[in-house]
Parts: sequence; structure tokens; C-alpha cells
Amino acid sequence: MSVRESALGMPELPSEGQLPPEPQVYDSAVRIPPLVGELRNMWEYRRLIRLLVTRDVLLRYKRSLLGVWWTLLNPLLTTAVLWLVFSGLFHFRIGGGGVPFVVYLLSGVIVVLCFQQAVEAVATSIVLNYAVLTKVYVPPEVFSVSAGLAAAVNLGLGTIPLVLLQLAMGVGIPWTVVLLPLPVVALLAFTIGAGLAVASIAVRFPDMLDFNRVILVIIGYMTPTFYPLSIVPRGFRHVIEANPVFHDLVFFRGLVYEGVLPSWQTCVWAFGSGFVALAAGLWLFARSWRTAVVMM
Amino acid sequence: MTGRGPAVEVRDISVVYRLARNRTTSIQEFAIRMAKRQIEYEDLWALRDVSFRLEAGEILGVIGANGAGKSTLMKVVARVLPPARGRIVVRGRVAPMIELGAGFHPDLTGLENLVLYGTILGNDPRTMRRHAMEIADWAELRDFLDVPIRSYSSGMVARLGFAVATWGHPDVVLVDEVFAVGDERFRARSLERFEELLGEGAAVLLVSHALDSISRVAHRAIWLDRGRVRATGDPTEIVRAYASAVTSGPSTLALDGRT
Repeated sequence: MSVRESALGMPELPSEGQLPPEPQVYDSAVRIPPLVGELRNMWEYRRLIRLLVTRDVLLRYKRSLLGVWWTLLNPLLTTAVLWLVFSGLFHFRIGGGGVPFVVYLLSGVIVVLCFQQAVEAVATSIVLNYAVLTKVYVPPEVFSVSAGLAAAVNLGLGTIPLVLLQLAMGVGIPWTVVLLPLPVVALLAFTIGAGLAVASIAVRFPDMLDFNRVILVIIGYMTPTFYPLSIVPRGFRHVIEANPVFHDLVFFRGLVYEGVLPSWQTCVWAFGSGFVALAAGLWLFARSWRTAVVMM
Repeated sequence: MTGRGPAVEVRDISVVYRLARNRTTSIQEFAIRMAKRQIEYEDLWALRDVSFRLEAGEILGVIGANGAGKSTLMKVVARVLPPARGRIVVRGRVAPMIELGAGFHPDLTGLENLVLYGTILGNDPRTMRRHAMEIADWAELRDFLDVPIRSYSSGMVARLGFAVATWGHPDVVLVDEVFAVGDERFRARSLERFEELLGEGAAVLLVSHALDSISRVAHRAIWLDRGRVRATGDPTEIVRAYASAVTSGPSTLALDGRT
């Protein structure tokens, strides 16, 4: 904020917090504090975000037979396969307050699928829109946030068959479901941050996207979707507990069928990991993005 | 946008980036070299102390060899890339016309792409929908709006991209070799459209390797040489000076770097 200019008749710098006057003036000397800038961008580009989310949700299966129905079918089919394998073959039975295995399974599958799809989508959103992003001024995070939100919408849609299943299995629907947006927000923050971190490497090394897929599978297995935490040997539990998605899932399951509020540790883990990942992802991405833009 | 100062004002801007000397494209290789401390960096100046002004209603031509910094300059003006040093002020809405159709999605229809691309460029989606027919008419694509872009010809894509980018009274238009696409008719009509925009007070920054078109349409020209402004002034003179420097073949101009 130290530039003072008069020789060229450049405008006086607007004082802090004041928006540039209409018509819009871009002045590279006006520095916006990092997080404030991101939030303002999200608000300014809210219409584009809405458009991109709708496009992502509808387009994912645009050229397919069943279209949007895949969004619902995908987790159901995955759950069906896992159920056959683990319940039919290995006779898994999960107590955990007497909830049927299938409910435990489906709730885990939709959360983990949402996480995996979102990280992938956030990372590739940058690579796919490279041509536009390096030429037209659009904050790149707009595309990432849209990709993350689209996955969250899919998670919301996936919750419908879950609660129907709960009704059918006699589990019922506790009042705590109204709080479900909380774990979703925590998961979303973690996801967007992780996706941006991946993207910041992928703009330089395209094979990062392949690594990412492997990492996502590992995180998927490190999350108790089809097995209870109790079968994990004590020595390994802290490995599982270091996985933020695990805490988001505990949070989610607690609200959606157990009807219990999360412990404060779960809250700290879920929101803390979300916030840290988001901040780190934005920071890493901003650093590598600049170089990527100059070189393209 | 009149009476508010020049549309674009660039003062002493520099863009520098750090490049690994032995460029690697895979993570394994990078990690191994990093572990062995074999990565050397060098600082490259894509732009160095560049200054110019672009007034409303003016066409400024930018010439220079590949790697001279033309594309980087466009990115700075498009505000995609903040300068490392110096200051740039852009007044009004910028319409970049670089690789027409880059923002299009093949699975979306012409109309969906029109709305999406227009929104990316900073318009309101509702406004884009309302004026979709008008834009499609200019591009002569009214009958193809419900067809996915993947079945468009490259000329059709370019027309739609051009129509969307120039719609809505942009104040600053960035043109990078845009006339290289499309047929004669499209070229003639795009020139016509440029005349209109200039008449409305738009400022145009034109990057081209077609030297004759620069000396024909531009009001002024700048010559970039390895990131620096080598000369600025009357387009015919600048083009002549540049052309004679190229043919006399100093090694500085033969550098065929990145674009």
C-alpha cells in the first residue's frame, strides 16, 4: 500500500476496505489481504459458481443412458457390492448401537465417495480450465470451489436413499439430521484444500493426478466404511485417527442415524483439519499458480 | 469511460519467474534431483521495466520475436498475472480474445456455452440468456444453439467465441492473432465489429506476427525485445525498424523461446 503516484495521473489508492468505484478499475498496486480477497472473489463470482455447480452436477453423466440418476446409483451399487462381499462372504456384523450393517456401509460409502470425487474434481478443475484461467481473469479458486460444491450436492442427494434405507430398516431418523450441513462443510473445506494442494503440484507435474488417485484409494481404505474401528489393532488406531475423513465420517454418522452430537475432539478434528487444509491449499496453490501462468 | 484517464496505464512493470534449469516433467525425477540437490534455478525476466499507455479508442500494436514477452504482457493486462514490480491500472471491462473458444465445453450446447463463457467474462448469466439470440445472430448460429459444441466446425466455434467476447461494450479488448481463424467473410465482419467497438470508445491491444496488419490497423506500436520495450511510436516506422533488424539477423532476435 505504499505506492503513491501522481506523475502519470494514476488514481489515488482507495483507502483500505473501500471498493473501487464504478466502472471497475483494476489497479495492481492495491493489495488485498489473502483471505479477504478469496472471500470477496467467491461473492463476486457467486453467479458463475452457481452456473458451474449446476453444470457439474448435470453434466457429469450428460452423455450417458441414465444421466443424473448415476449420482444416486453409484453409491448404491458400490454399497451393494461391499454388502455382498462383507456381509454375505465374511459375515460382518456391526453392533454400534444395533445399526444394520447396510446402513453403516451406505453412510460410509457416500461420504468417502464424495471426498474422493471432490478432491479429484477440484484438482482437475484447474488443469481442465487451464486455457481459460491463463487468459481470462477469473479467480481459479472459483472453479475449485464449484467442483467441491458439486460433490457436496451429490452427497446431499446421496443422503436421500440413506435416510429412506434407515426408515425401511427401522432405524428411524433422529432430529440431529438437521445438523448434517456441519460435517459436510468441514469435509468440503478439507476437500477443497486437499484438492488445491494436489492442483498446485499438478500444474507443474501432470502425473500428480495419477499419484493422487492412489492416495485417495489409500485414504478410502483408511476410513472405516465397511469395517468397524474396533477390529483395527490398537497399534494402528492412531493411523486411522490421523485421517481427517474418519472424523468427518464419525461426525456424519453420529448425526444421521445415531442421533448423537459429536464429541468436542471430533469437532476440533473435523473443523480444524478443514480449516488448516483450506488455508494450506490456498497458500500452496497461489505460489505455484503464478509460475504456471507465466510459463503457459 | 471517457474523461477518466487512459484505458490502460502501465508503468515500469516487470515480471520475473524462477525456472528450474534442468526442466523435469515427472515427480520422481524432480524428487530424486531435489534429494541430490541437483536443481538449479535461474531467474528469467519475462518483462522488464515496461511502460506504455493505451487511450480509449486507440489500437496499440505489439510486435516482437517469440519469447519477447508479448503473451506475458497480455496476461498482465488481462490481470491474470500480477506484475512483480511496477504498476498497472486498467479502467473498465477487459475482453480477452485469445484462442477463441478456449472456455467452451464440448458436451454443452451452443447456448449453454454462450451463457457460461459470457459469465466467465464477467457478465450476468441472466443478461446473457436474454441477449443470446442477438449474439447468436451475429455469429450466424441461431439454428445451432441447441446443438452440442462438439459438432461445431472450428469456424463456428471461433464465431461464437468472438461474438460472446465482443458483446456488452468491453472497454479494453485484447487480441492475439485472432484474425488467423475463420474465412474471409468472418474476417471482414470481425474487422467491422472492431470499428464499432472503437467507435464506442474501446481500446484495443493487438498482438500479431502479421506485420502488415499491424502497420495497417494500429495507431501506435511497441516493439518488445527480450522483455524490454525496444521502441515505441508510429506503427509503420516501428514495423520497418523491426523488419530490418530481423533480416539483418542479430542473434538477439533469433531466440525462439516460449511464447
